[in-house]
Amino acid sequence: MPLLDKLRAIVGPAHVLAGTELSPYVIEGRTPEAAVRPGSVDEVAAVIAQAAEAGVPVVPWGGGSAVGVGVPPARAGLVLLLTRLSALVEHEPGDLTATAQAGVTVAALQAALRARGQWLSLDPPDAARATLGGVLAANASGPRRHLYGTARDLLIGVTVVTADGAVVHGGGKVVKNVAGYDLPKLFIGSYGTLGVIVEATVKLRPVPDEERLVAVRFERLEDAGAAVRALLASDLIPNAVDLMDAPAGAALGLPPAPATLAVGFDGLGEQVDWQVAALASVVAPCGGAKPAPLPPALWERLAAAARDAFDAPAAMMTLSVLPGVVADTMEQGAEAARQRGLASAWCAHAGVGHVTATLRAEGERQDAAPIAAVLEDWRAAAHAGGGHASVTWAPLPVKSALPVWDDAGAAGRLMQRIKAQLDPNNVLNPGRFVGGI
Amino acid sequence: MATLTAGRKPVLRRELEALVGADGVLSEPDELLVYESDGLTLFRALADFIVFPTSVEQVSAVVRLANREAIPFVARGAGTGLAGGCLPAEGGLVISLMRMNRVLEVDYDNQIAVVEPGLVNLHLSQAVGPRGFYYAPDPSSQQACTIGGNIATNSGGPHTLKYGVTVNHVLGLEVVLPDGEIVWLGGRTRDALGYDLAGVFVGSEGTFGIATKIVVRILRKPQAVKTVLAVFDRIEQASAAVSAIIARGLVPAAVEMIDQLTIQAVEDAFGCGYPRDAAAALLIELDGLAVAMETQAERIVAACRDAGAREVRTAASEAERQLLWKGRKSAFGAYGRVSPAYMVMDGVIPRTKLPYVLGRVNEIVAAHGLRVGNVFHAGDGNLHPNILYDPRKPGEEARVVDAGAQIMKVCAEVGGSISGEHGIGLEKADFMPFIFTAADLAFMQRLKDAFNPRGLCNPGKVFPTRKSCVETGPVAYRPHAIETQGLAQRF
Repeated sequence: MPLLDKLRAIVGPAHVLAGTELSPYVIEGRTPEAAVRPGSVDEVAAVIAQAAEAGVPVVPWGGGSAVGVGVPPARAGLVLLLTRLSALVEHEPGDLTATAQAGVTVAALQAALRARGQWLSLDPPDAARATLGGVLAANASGPRRHLYGTARDLLIGVTVVTADGAVVHGGGKVVKNVAGYDLPKLFIGSYGTLGVIVEATVKLRPVPDEERLVAVRFERLEDAGAAVRALLASDLIPNAVDLMDAPAGAALGLPPAPATLAVGFDGLGEQVDWQVAALASVVAPCGGAKPAPLPPALWERLAAAARDAFDAPAAMMTLSVLPGVVADTMEQGAEAARQRGLASAWCAHAGVGHVTATLRAEGERQDAAPIAAVLEDWRAAAHAGGGHASVTWAPLPVKSALPVWDDAGAAGRLMQRIKAQLDPNNVLNPGRFVGGI
Repeated sequence: MATLTAGRKPVLRRELEALVGADGVLSEPDELLVYESDGLTLFRALADFIVFPTSVEQVSAVVRLANREAIPFVARGAGTGLAGGCLPAEGGLVISLMRMNRVLEVDYDNQIAVVEPGLVNLHLSQAVGPRGFYYAPDPSSQQACTIGGNIATNSGGPHTLKYGVTVNHVLGLEVVLPDGEIVWLGGRTRDALGYDLAGVFVGSEGTFGIATKIVVRILRKPQAVKTVLAVFDRIEQASAAVSAIIARGLVPAAVEMIDQLTIQAVEDAFGCGYPRDAAAALLIELDGLAVAMETQAERIVAACRDAGAREVRTAASEAERQLLWKGRKSAFGAYGRVSPAYMVMDGVIPRTKLPYVLGRVNEIVAAHGLRVGNVFHAGDGNLHPNILYDPRKPGEEARVVDAGAQIMKVCAEVGGSISGEHGIGLEKADFMPFIFTAADLAFMQRLKDAFNPRGLCNPGKVFPTRKSCVETGPVAYRPHAIETQGLAQRF
């Protein structure tokens, strides 16, 4: 029996997509052989087992919001859609934990949790589309990571389907747990290369009484950088410290300024009031204007400010650097682009050194070489800042002109050994990840 | 259990001395005895050599030698572990990191420190304290345990309720892999490139390699701290108060519970101001901004009173706060006054299951004809029942072990875990099937094989074995040599 027939027998004919139905699932020009929508963990396991037996690679797919990240697959194979696995399995407010299936969107999960006074303190962009499993697999995060950390600080248990179709659990349902290896950490940011996340248990927090976002304008990026350092050294406990250059600020509709610092606070009302007032005196000596309130709707757009700066981006890069050099990195990076005649937009979760940059496309048929050259400059700047940088979006010609992922060095060989142990036949998202994994 | 022939040993000793110096190798039987167990003296095993490297190159060279000879090796810090995790279960080398104990670098702007694995946990907070910083993970043994050991077990502590456990504070590690290669996992920045290998390494109980440099986050000390003591006449009321605090949307820095037996032991030993007739007390700490600290404290007090607390008071001074914490942190030592020996359990349950599980713990221990004291991290559901016993009474230790296994089963049944912070080590290897399937364990074994393909690095730990002490019955208790000499006590 051919693979597609076997898949139809597992999930039902309506949930195996082929032909023109595949157009939403084309990955960087490559059309998959089929897309399949399993309705249970057992069906996911059966589908992967069949694909593995047939030697067809499997590309896990949540909301598709990070599908352009990484090296394009040599063969798209089977797209495994997880959107039917969208149940909130368990939420016990007294335990401050919840278990949900991987295909639930972040927005739907948060709405269900908020109805009972709690939330998952993770705020990646595209919440309406991004799924819990996808966010974990891509290690996506947002501005509130400044205070609440990333998936590695929140994920306490995970269920995955492995490359041979086995169902494996790691961690558990309790907030503190050192039994066995920390499989949740292994799967965070692994881009579906080691197993397909089907269920996750996360730590929750109570919804704060109040939350406020304010903007501080600066005449120079370096002044904003000094303000970030002063803020980190102060007694204040912001939940977000986001820095934007002029194009990124403009994308959010902020008043024009060479640099804008968006700072968030949450807690009891009097704590928020006190901190907003204290912020003014922290930033003023660095040349910061008086903090001005921002509309709450802006929260969810902060992380994507650089991405949204241009209608036609030429490339996007994420840089991880030391917090103290964020503003310098942004300034040098923008200058490197300018020298090659290109415009760029920059935003950063500045307090944690997470920087995002976008290059603007110039014309229809742009040469990949200058774009790749700028990205190489940016990568060099990240290295100088003690970190690393990877291309998170670019057209294929650009992706073939420089390594998409940064070089993981000796650790990269260890990663390859892990991949070889856990997915020896290269079934899961092959070729997509760091080091050719 | 030594693995080497008498003839081979002197040859290897000379080779090891050439690598780490003549004063860096122990191999005499009386010297080896000191390293035959950790804080859990139930398990003992002798190494062939104890080696004290002073650099990553030396660690790597020793590991390469062990590979050449195909002899097992295990890293050891201060030996305060409570699961037998650093024992040389199959002989070979113990690699002590105690001579690699420096703070290499502190970057206050970026709030990170680079330290060596043998650094005592508390010494890091002392080093950065004058600049207003501290290292958050605070296991009860923090005056003695090392950061490298904390990496192995992913240590917790009272304040991990708010600030997370060790892994949440580790950004990068320089590691000697089990084949001797030196690699960096993670680095100084918050986001890793590729798989989060630093995150996976932390808590791997020394089976993935040996950490030789550690990049940790240091935190600004909070502007204000408030410590509340709530006293209850019934232990169920104290359990209910924990849930009530959470339900009011409060996340304290710490919520610790101390039961009556423990209170009495602590008061006998140290006089810390806990009421001796209380069934249980909660020690609750809030920290953060000075503004609104009173408002938050009022919410805590109200939650405790609603749960039936007979008395709720806040520490009026730093001295009183320190005294209350001394009571909590000295509880283990205080048990020595009420019992010749005790065994510390470590299990985790969903917070809402506290009343049920505490009741079951007491039933199980009573059914075994034993007594139990509870002092634990109630806020995150991490139980520490301490079963008191007399090792000189025949059969009593076996009953303790059996009661411990039953308590672990209860933790597993309510959806919890068999270890919150002590690790699996040797002690709980055979309990792993309580919470993991054969497929789970097989997957973990493959992950281990990627790091440690020859299995020479800390063999015999974490994974269940067919033959173990639990099944064959524990060895009779003998006080450890350093205990009889008064050099150390169990805590």
